[in-house]
Amino acid sequence: MPDISLTVNGEQITKSVEGCTLLVEFIRETLKLTGTHIGCDTSQCGACTVHLNGQAVKSCTMLAAQADGAEITTIEGLAPEGQLNPMQKAFNDHHGLQCGFCTPGMVMRAMTLVTDNPNPTEADVRHGLEGNICRCTGYQNIVAAVLDGAKALRG
Amino acid sequence: MEDFNYTRPASLSDAAATHSNADDAMYMAGGQTLIPVLKQGLAMPTDVVDLNKIDGLSGIEVAGGFVTIGAMTRHAVVAASAEIKNVLPALTVLAGGIGDAQVRNRGTIGGSLANNDPSADYPAAVMGLGATVVTDQRELSAEDYFDGMFATNLEPGEIIKAVKFPVPEKAGYGKFPNPASRYALVGVFVAKTASGVRVAVTGAGQDGVFRAAEIEDALNNNFSADALSGVTVPADDLMTDMHADAGYRANLIGVMAKRAVNQANGQG
Amino acid sequence: MSNVKIGESLKRFEDQRFLTGHGRYIDDINLDGQARAVVVRAAYAHAIINAIDTSAAMAMDGVLLVVTRDDWLREGFKPMPTKSGVKNNADGTPLKEPPRHALAIDRVRYVGEPVALVVAETLGQAQAAAEMVDIDYEELPAVTDPVEALKPGAPQLWDDIPNNLCLNFELGDKSGTEKAFAEADHVVSLDVLNNRVTAVPIETRGCVAAYDAAADKYTLWNASQNVHANRDTFAEVLNIDKSQLDHIAPDVGGGFGAKNSGYPEPSLCLYAAKRLGRPVKWINSRSESFLSDTHGRGQSSRVELALTKDGTFLGLRTTTVGGIGAYAWTVGPFTPTGGSARTQGGPYNFPAMFYSGKAVLTNTAPMDPYRGAGRPEATFQTERIVEYAARKLGFDPIELRRKNLMPKEMLPHKTPMGLDVDSGDFPLLFEETLKMAEKADLGALKAKAEAAGKKYGFAIAPYLECTGGGPKEHAGVTFNKDGSIDLAVGTSSTGMGHETAHAQILAANLGVDVERIKFRQSDTTATPLGGGHGGSRGMEVGGNAVQQAAQEIIELAKPVAARLLQSETDEVEYEDGTFKAGASSVSMNDVIDASMDKDKLPEGLDEGCLDHSSVFERGVISIPNGVHAAAVAVDPDTGTVEFLGYWVMDDFGTIINPMLADGQVMGGVAQGIGQALLEDIVYDPDNGQLVTGSLMDYGLPHADEIPNMEIGYYEGAPTKKNPLGVKGAGEAGCVGACPAVVNAVLDALNDYGVTHIDMPLTPQKVWKAIQAKGAFDPKKLLGDAA
Repeated sequence: MPDISLTVNGEQITKSVEGCTLLVEFIRETLKLTGTHIGCDTSQCGACTVHLNGQAVKSCTMLAAQADGAEITTIEGLAPEGQLNPMQKAFNDHHGLQCGFCTPGMVMRAMTLVTDNPNPTEADVRHGLEGNICRCTGYQNIVAAVLDGAKALRG
Repeated sequence: MEDFNYTRPASLSDAAATHSNADDAMYMAGGQTLIPVLKQGLAMPTDVVDLNKIDGLSGIEVAGGFVTIGAMTRHAVVAASAEIKNVLPALTVLAGGIGDAQVRNRGTIGGSLANNDPSADYPAAVMGLGATVVTDQRELSAEDYFDGMFATNLEPGEIIKAVKFPVPEKAGYGKFPNPASRYALVGVFVAKTASGVRVAVTGAGQDGVFRAAEIEDALNNNFSADALSGVTVPADDLMTDMHADAGYRANLIGVMAKRAVNQANGQG
Repeated sequence: MSNVKIGESLKRFEDQRFLTGHGRYIDDINLDGQARAVVVRAAYAHAIINAIDTSAAMAMDGVLLVVTRDDWLREGFKPMPTKSGVKNNADGTPLKEPPRHALAIDRVRYVGEPVALVVAETLGQAQAAAEMVDIDYEELPAVTDPVEALKPGAPQLWDDIPNNLCLNFELGDKSGTEKAFAEADHVVSLDVLNNRVTAVPIETRGCVAAYDAAADKYTLWNASQNVHANRDTFAEVLNIDKSQLDHIAPDVGGGFGAKNSGYPEPSLCLYAAKRLGRPVKWINSRSESFLSDTHGRGQSSRVELALTKDGTFLGLRTTTVGGIGAYAWTVGPFTPTGGSARTQGGPYNFPAMFYSGKAVLTNTAPMDPYRGAGRPEATFQTERIVEYAARKLGFDPIELRRKNLMPKEMLPHKTPMGLDVDSGDFPLLFEETLKMAEKADLGALKAKAEAAGKKYGFAIAPYLECTGGGPKEHAGVTFNKDGSIDLAVGTSSTGMGHETAHAQILAANLGVDVERIKFRQSDTTATPLGGGHGGSRGMEVGGNAVQQAAQEIIELAKPVAARLLQSETDEVEYEDGTFKAGASSVSMNDVIDASMDKDKLPEGLDEGCLDHSSVFERGVISIPNGVHAAAVAVDPDTGTVEFLGYWVMDDFGTIINPMLADGQVMGGVAQGIGQALLEDIVYDPDNGQLVTGSLMDYGLPHADEIPNMEIGYYEGAPTKKNPLGVKGAGEAGCVGACPAVVNAVLDALNDYGVTHIDMPLTPQKVWKAIQAKGAFDPKKLLGDAA
């Protein structure tokens, strides 16, 4: 069993994991951070999206052991307890979520989308979310939220 | 998924040694195909040898008429490379259309080529540009490298180090995605080089990536989309599945080739 | 006075936990000592089970239990009954209902049917052991297409159900319709397929079951849309009293009908929990979900329209064959029969209509409600034949529709399908939708598309809907000393936002601040009854229950207010959070405070005297209606469809929260677009294996495939069928979308002589239809079955 040391939401963690443990399993089951979700088994829905050294990755398509030495941020680490960051707030303002299941992955991807492209067009946002599937909203309000979140984060 | 020994060697020689000492080892590059395969139990290796910590396997070099990309370079890095965009923008277009943003942050060119999925994008660029696959043991031409669906001429334990793309006069890539998976239902890479036009098709062939002679002939005469009007690709050896039969794929090859040519000519 | 009103876009309270990763979905629940279960699913579509050998599985590490048919038979567990709203055939005989057990008993009848449940210490151990359960199958021929299943010589799923026919249904005036057709100048006929799809909520199904031996009581946490009805089903299966089973749905990650049914797995887990004396958790994988979730639609229909020379509609006749899977599930037999019959003809004035529908058993996964359950099919059938007739007979499709819409003066009107259409203004919504579209400058959109080498198409699709689902709903209100107010309702939000909308209704009625309200739902311990989610009933039945409870609380509060006002109860009047008697007044807040203080209460009333529950019962279902319009560009080189615009006008009666209503419409349209262009459940007809078993082959719409929609509401004709005046909003989006999209694409292909393509209109199908040009001939799907 490999030992891994990593930072999750700013906290230093050292654990032993099985080689086959997925990063998402480690986050949900070992660290009990259940905001990261599993919606498929073919790496398509994006509900498991987290940040690995600041980049969005699908935590269902990465081994926990591969995160050794990395900085991981999950949805729980996006804003101080009880608060919403500007992107989360934009999702609330625009009704960019319904059942909430795809939402953590959607928000995590949205954050890196606007880091990479602080002033995206609607088409940029729609294309940029191709790794995340939402079945509730028809995306219109998600797109509005990401555009507004981008604006707020630009300041 | 079944457990396995996980190792993360720091050098190519350690990786090769670990691989050869194991009962049934697999290398892992970006893992974007391998991990889903492991999850479904389609492969159950005793050992997974992770190549991510080996120094010198990633990076981009543009020099001497070649774009050389380290095997562990992520698709996102290629897609965003200003250096490559300067000399071979079609390659950044291709890399930027693989999977999705999250997949591109992990997936690598070496992993894609070693797996040689018949619907993957990179094989089209390697074949279309006549690139060279550099391994820890030798150099393989594109023609020598590919060996049919999910098959290559890599020896067991052999590791891709880099891919050397000769810079063409111009090039373009047209992709029609599978409506469900968004893999290439058809992808056509077109390159105009000093020694003639090369056109490679992915997503469509029963034996993986192939060169489309009919299209190459037409474009050698006249490198324009108009030259492809009326040019057809035989459907005989093309794949048929629920999303596209061979006839539809043959049509898409023509359409995507035109779009690739327009892109190469800066017209779209 | 409350800080919220009905009709205001109050932002959602549930968002805070969902946006910060603190939602609590089924897979987030873990109990001490829990074991993990994995279902062993049928590998064949139709096979006799000769033997099941569990010995190798039981010998594996960590394995605790393997449940098979032997356990089920020994325990005498019952099959799960259908609750189909239509129970009898047209000839009055009862429908044929095969026994639906939680585990296959004699044969498996669809790929993915549960055959055994393996329980182990860990998920990995259970998965490994599930591979080792040795099942000796004897494969039988399978049939997956319901039209084929009806034919003589087709494989028979059940020895005592001839021709696999579960239910044969008729509705309407048969002879009157025949007469209309005989007298018509024109008769047009078209076979249409409503493709089989599945809901794919992003959270898969799952449950955690626990058993308390001392109390002989079970608790089930389950990703269910319908906890009360499902509890009754599971209790019936397990031969226990329903009081022995508490059924709770935590946050549920989408449903759309797929979490409505009483599935096999919860009963299996409840039994395993009792056997082991430990909680048992089961979570479906996505691949298993494609095999084992309920599917929807899947109807082949012949639609016939009779018209006069000038285009006046005389009659509509629809003949449907609908697959329902291998068993009669919760409402499976209802969907292709009564469910698809009622809204036939849409908002048009049809003097005569006749519907016949057959519900047919096939070797496929169960069919049960999917968003709309019959109404999307009916609208699609109606709108396709109207469009087809216009093309064929040379009418302008917009004019033909305009001419035949029921005028406002015609309402209230009972349609030939027996639907009580009480209120609305169909022509107004039609014209308003066209105006919305025209504002987008359709001419410019067309020119732009054509300049890019594309074909432009536009279509408008009016729809008529009706609500459904459980007719009763419970709302309970409790006032707490800390100032909070508990509201418990038996509806189930799986994303629709009831936590906000129900609180909004209660707060607005009582004149209290909405933040005081703490919401509970989907819990048999919180409400004694509940209709869950289904049939767009959340506001129509649930919202009215909340409003009714609030109004009754106001009456209960009047004596308390009278004492505070030193007045008589019958002199107290209430308005917007304030009780008045003469010149003096007191707020609801003060009255609530007084209700907690014995000293302030009149004689005979006790602390907590305002706590109150109420049951609202719907009389007649209401009729949401509206109009969709779509503009598309089709790339003739590839067959790809791109949206240029999408417009919707809806009449949902009173809108409680426009932002939430928008969300329902947008999500529904996206699912309709998915069905129209992309989604398709495909079985291999030769062996019954599921071809589209993962998201690699079953396409779901992505953000870059769904257009922005412009949505408007008409609130000028609230229904009088319920006090809130609401008509239901949850399903309408996917009712209107399929015909709008398909007809717009066909409009774009008009130059090629293409008059029909069956859904989904994938790039390949569109391209092939273009190649076939005028030679294209719509398939006769029904053959002799019609």
